[in-house]
Amino acid sequence: MIALSGIKKSFGKNEVLSGIDLKVNRGEVVAILGPSGSGKTTLLRCINYLEKPDSGVISIGDFKLNCRQHGKKDVHALRQKSAMVFQQYNLFRHKTALENVMEGLVVVRKVSKAEARERSIALLEKVGLGAKLNAYPSELSGGQQQRVGIARALALNPEVILFDEPTSALDPELVGEVLSVIRQIAEEGITMIIVTHEMGFAQEVANHVVFMDGGVIVEEGEPKQLFRYPKEERTQQFLKRITPEAGYSI
Amino acid sequence: MKLDVSFIWTAFVELLDAIPVTLAITAVSVLCGFLIGTAVALARQFRVPVLSQAGAAYVTFIRGTPMITHLLLIYFGMPMLLDAAAEALGFGFRSASIPMIVFAFLSFSITAGAYASEVVRSGLLAVDRGQLEAAYSIGMTGPQALLRIVLPQAFAASLPNISNMLIGMLHGSSLAFTVSVVEINAKAQIVATTNWKFFEAYLAAALIYWGLTIGIERLSALAEKRFKAYSRGGVS
Ligand SMILES: Nc1ncnc2c1ncn2[C@@H]1O[C@H](COP(=O)(O)OP(=O)(O)OP(=O)(O)O)[C@@H](O)[C@H]1O
Ligand SMILES: [Mg+2]
Repeated sequence: MIALSGIKKSFGKNEVLSGIDLKVNRGEVVAILGPSGSGKTTLLRCINYLEKPDSGVISIGDFKLNCRQHGKKDVHALRQKSAMVFQQYNLFRHKTALENVMEGLVVVRKVSKAEARERSIALLEKVGLGAKLNAYPSELSGGQQQRVGIARALALNPEVILFDEPTSALDPELVGEVLSVIRQIAEEGITMIIVTHEMGFAQEVANHVVFMDGGVIVEEGEPKQLFRYPKEERTQQFLKRITPEAGYSI
Repeated sequence: MKLDVSFIWTAFVELLDAIPVTLAITAVSVLCGFLIGTAVALARQFRVPVLSQAGAAYVTFIRGTPMITHLLLIYFGMPMLLDAAAEALGFGFRSASIPMIVFAFLSFSITAGAYASEVVRSGLLAVDRGQLEAAYSIGMTGPQALLRIVLPQAFAASLPNISNMLIGMLHGSSLAFTVSVVEINAKAQIVATTNWKFFEAYLAAALIYWGLTIGIERLSALAEKRFKAYSRGGVS
């Protein structure tokens, strides 16, 4: 289980997260929605400690970290609990698809090369890239790169995978292939937190939806509940604005 | 006076002996230069207190003064320092026992370090921040991320600059003749004065430098092909 409590983060005078509390159960898929600038990316980055929160407590599984007092070792331990799928993919440019997936297994998890290779090939086949093992990122389409990114995150078998708008940098015709991979791994019971603007997808895949605005969680609940009967006015406004544009529906 | 074509060949053959010395000075200074330069560039990039300021001062002083000045300062300054230190500590060491080429190694490494730090810095700037974040996100430590992800890409991005620097240091190594190291240029002077045929001897030296430079260009083209295979960068 993942629990965030009282996560605060400011950039200079700009308070971006004003005390976030969130619980995610094992195997749950949580979608985070909210207008641009509401702090969604910052929240994900805080969980992975790419951004250091000013205060708050992050606990993932049996590991707990107080953002005000910790050492480098704790950060390192926390990062091992989660994996991130980036909006801009961020594949290692000098490594092939296979090497990208193997890297964490070999270097971080100290798995033998032969075993890492075998597991990585299986993962790449799972995301439909069995034929692209030796391609460099520059030789892959955006959708393919993002699927490698997902395989790289899956390889580490983390407690939670964090997705930051995994499809928003993609051409519309490539969005589907990435979403279907995410849908598939959601069904396997992997815990995920997904920031997305794909409303239909969120409604279909998520067990829990969180609406953020202005650095706080305004409302959260079951997808059906939140999408059909939003309680808060800000949520209603946001959904009204965004729904007609949602190109994806189930 | 008339051009003695056959003497160009004679001189050329004699100069071949001095190539290893020139290559040694070039290789040592560029290698050590890159070690120093990488350390300085990292200290500056990650704003390590004290080290980054010291690094910046080092770079501006060295780049602000000629290479031959570094050589002369080391050549005259080091022995004074070492002898004084040896005396104070009671060692029987005398600076006169240091081979001349050591001064060239030392001073040119210091010169190369300042230029290399800028080469490395521009290489680091060419690596997207997302690469470092991706490395952290899969649980790498800082040193792992640096060694496995950032530096290899920075290195690939710097290859053209590295080859430039190698060529610069190859040519610059000729300054070692001022402290009586017999590299290609000094050897050419010796051959020239003993036979009183300056133009021919220096022409032979020029041909050798040119040949070595072409060798470096070839190697760097190969290295670019090998290390930048992943990138489709550039405008071509
Ligand atoms: N490194 C940074 N330095 C300064 N300000 C930042 C930084 N990162 C984010 N911010 C600010 O924090 C606020 C929240 O940004 P964040 O990226 O978390 O929003 P978001 O909800 O992900 O938006 P979007 O939907 O556009 O991706 C913004 O006002 C942004 O300008
Ligand atoms: Mg964002």
